[in-house]
Amino acid sequence: MELWVLFGTFVVLLLIGTPVAFCLGVSSFATIAYLGLPPVVVFQRMNSGVSVFALMAIPFFIFAGDLMVRGDIARRLVALAGALVGHLRGGLGQVNILASVMFGGVSGSAAADASAVGGLMVPQMKERGYDVDYAVNITVVGSIIALMIPPSHNMIIYSISAGGKISIADLFTAGIIPGAVLALSLMVAAYFVAKSRGYPTEPFPGGRAMLGLLANAVPGLVLVAIIFGGVRSGIFTASESSNIAVVYAMFVTFFVYRSLSWADFVAATMAAVRTTAMVLMVIGCAGAFGWLLAYTRVPASMVMMLKGISDNPIVILLLMNLVLLVLGTFMDMSPLIVITTPIFLPVAVAFGVDPVHFGVILVLNLGIGLCTPPVGAVLFVGCAVGKIPIWQAMRTIWPFYGAAFATLMLVTYIPQLSLWLPAQFH
Amino acid sequence: AGACETTLKSSDTHPDGYPTVEAVKAMSKSLEERTDGRLCIEIFHSAQLGEEKDTIEQTQFGAIDLNRVSLGPFNNIIEETQIPSLPYIFRSVEHMHTVMDGPIGQEILDAFAEHDLIGLGFYDGGSRSFYNKEKPIKSMEDLKGMKFRVMQSDMFVDMVSALGANATPLPYGEVYSSIQTGVIDGAENNWPSYDTSGHFEVAKYYTLDQHLIVPEVLVMSKKSWDKLSPEDQVAVKAAARDSVPVMRELWVAQEKKSEEKVRAAGSEIITDIDKTPFIEAMKPVYEKYVTSEKLKDMVARIQATE
Amino acid sequence: MISVARVTSVMARVSLWVSGAGLVLMTVLIACQVFWRYVLNDSISWTEPGSVMIMGWFIFLGAAVGIREGYHLSFDILLHVVSHRVKLMLHTTSDIVVIAFGAGMVVYGTQLAINAAPNVLPSLGISGAFDFMPIVAGGVLVVLFSIERIARRMAGMPTARFGETEIED
Ligand code: NA
Ligand code: NA
Repeated sequence: MELWVLFGTFVVLLLIGTPVAFCLGVSSFATIAYLGLPPVVVFQRMNSGVSVFALMAIPFFIFAGDLMVRGDIARRLVALAGALVGHLRGGLGQVNILASVMFGGVSGSAAADASAVGGLMVPQMKERGYDVDYAVNITVVGSIIALMIPPSHNMIIYSISAGGKISIADLFTAGIIPGAVLALSLMVAAYFVAKSRGYPTEPFPGGRAMLGLLANAVPGLVLVAIIFGGVRSGIFTASESSNIAVVYAMFVTFFVYRSLSWADFVAATMAAVRTTAMVLMVIGCAGAFGWLLAYTRVPASMVMMLKGISDNPIVILLLMNLVLLVLGTFMDMSPLIVITTPIFLPVAVAFGVDPVHFGVILVLNLGIGLCTPPVGAVLFVGCAVGKIPIWQAMRTIWPFYGAAFATLMLVTYIPQLSLWLPAQFH
Repeated sequence: AGACETTLKSSDTHPDGYPTVEAVKAMSKSLEERTDGRLCIEIFHSAQLGEEKDTIEQTQFGAIDLNRVSLGPFNNIIEETQIPSLPYIFRSVEHMHTVMDGPIGQEILDAFAEHDLIGLGFYDGGSRSFYNKEKPIKSMEDLKGMKFRVMQSDMFVDMVSALGANATPLPYGEVYSSIQTGVIDGAENNWPSYDTSGHFEVAKYYTLDQHLIVPEVLVMSKKSWDKLSPEDQVAVKAAARDSVPVMRELWVAQEKKSEEKVRAAGSEIITDIDKTPFIEAMKPVYEKYVTSEKLKDMVARIQATE
Repeated sequence: MISVARVTSVMARVSLWVSGAGLVLMTVLIACQVFWRYVLNDSISWTEPGSVMIMGWFIFLGAAVGIREGYHLSFDILLHVVSHRVKLMLHTTSDIVVIAFGAGMVVYGTQLAINAAPNVLPSLGISGAFDFMPIVAGGVLVVLFSIERIARRMAGMPTARFGETEIED
């Protein structure tokens, strides 16, 4: 019965348009009251849920990403990507994907990627005669890459949701090859769509020009090395690395590029405050929700239920992926990570799946959810950038969904894609 | 736990199978027998309900009934709990058992009552010693200038400083790679943690100085306690007492297993150290933390206990 | 109503500036921590708990402002299919529920603060009550800004929603 109160209140509030954070908080409040437990627990869990040092990486990575977009670092990375793959079939589409790989190396946000890379690429693609839906489709699905390539604050949210015992360095490393596989499969899809639509290619700019663009992009690329190298070597914690990313981005944009004005700085700060307050409020309230899930033994019942359906890990993983995909169409990523990790991770572990591997599956799966209606933050950003209605993007996005889904299946059933690289560092 | 009338909910941050978790399971069995099935215990292990600081508050507010916690989070709340947390206060594990099983231990348990908690009994937390990747530490001279990770606690930081080393509070999960990369030289912990954390792979010199032999405590929420009949209260106390020897036996076995594994992996265990200068170096630490007459008296009585 | 909106607007702006300053201060503190540890070879133990506390302030203040500015994530499928009148009623219901939660933040946040008040926070040396002050302050603003939303709606003024309207003051 208490589960009906918990999930019932949550769903009803969600449907009437209450902000997700408060749906989680209020349904926990109602359930605690129903169980006759002291309601103070809800607010204590909310507070402890966000009083975690490792969470500090989220405001910092978001802040750093914002500074880089406003301070020109992103544009230079896109220019370099243009020189590298513009001459392939599908030209600017391929550039768009590679730019997401590069931008993904400095930012962990798919929405930031869609607005930064999309904001630069979609107008260029329009101008060069590409259909807008093609440009938007690639921008949207390509931005999932930023979630997989480190840094990825969603991996940090996962690690914390799992009790803080999964190494963030391992999760970061584990995302690299799946991110590359996703980029490759999207490039293949972009190639075939471009071929059937007869899109042009870009001229190869030549070695000299390429060196110039590379030199221009070096400060951005150095940041990639700092973030990954710092976390991987254990010299810095993820929070410290993200802090260095902020300081470095300020330094480069203020003093090297001189591209960031005081007004830009204030705008970036305020944008970062808004985004992180929103994300972390969800995480805090999910802390209360998660406590009730544990208290009412939902994860244990879920393990029992799934064990009743099948004892084959292949089937179980497929089931979990489908459930997550469905949830992902309706809800945003960070609340889903915090809600589903305590439920699904014990199931995955009970079926012999490595927690690091499961984290990669989860982030990729929910990343796809960001690109699907009705609730898809990245899809909205992409359509806003391209100024097209969602249905127009939806008509032709299927090859790219297909590529992302194929990658999800590969990542799910070939654990080595995720686990081989971290193992090389042990 | 299944068919009993009232199920008490108990929290533990340790994983299933850990000696404290198994001890509370044993307590549940004993409690069920003693109350003819009126009471039993359901355990939420692995910090499912939160970290210790949080579950203590939940216990105080009556959201959970029982809680197995370290003394550390109580140090700033209940001054008596600082005493067993003092470095080198116990000469050995046996000394600690004698003190905590006796009147001093009872005094500390009684101090919880003022904070809406009932102290039921003490479990072992093992004895913590230094390990590092550089050299075998045999004297204070060897510790000079080395960097050790300690838990986030003012007293442990002061303890390491008083020994002439540098204390670096780091999250536990970062310790392995920080030793590997030389950000710190080592850390300190008990046998099982030295083993299961894998730290022995990167820090092979383990000096058994036993600077901390801090017991852990099992507490009950005063709110839940007050709901019990007097006879059930007696049963709870007795069942908790029954679980202590179970815990100690499992702990010794676990320590032995870890020691064998770590030795086989090539760790060098240093036992021949003269602890006297270490103990003498603690004077400023004791002066800073043992302030009231009550605490000073307690320290003197512990030191006088054979 | 318009003059009230002006007051709440100032409150929202101040909260946002405090939060922004908190983010910058956090950046500076952690940068110092890194600098001290790796360059000066010395550890500062209070920067970490200090920044975590600052983070609490900017999350709960920022989340409260988010109610006024409508930047919280929400789900509005149902809202698209119902009539305008029903939609406004649902908005008001939702605001009332949020008010209840905000009141909970104030009441139970205070209870937690009182319970923790005698404790001293490690490394910071201040009362444990400080841990819970952001919840109380955030709760007060959550209640205020939600009441403002309902009042605005009654006065026929727009309220902001995620992905929809932006408000002017
Ligand atoms: Na990334
Ligand atoms: Na979606």
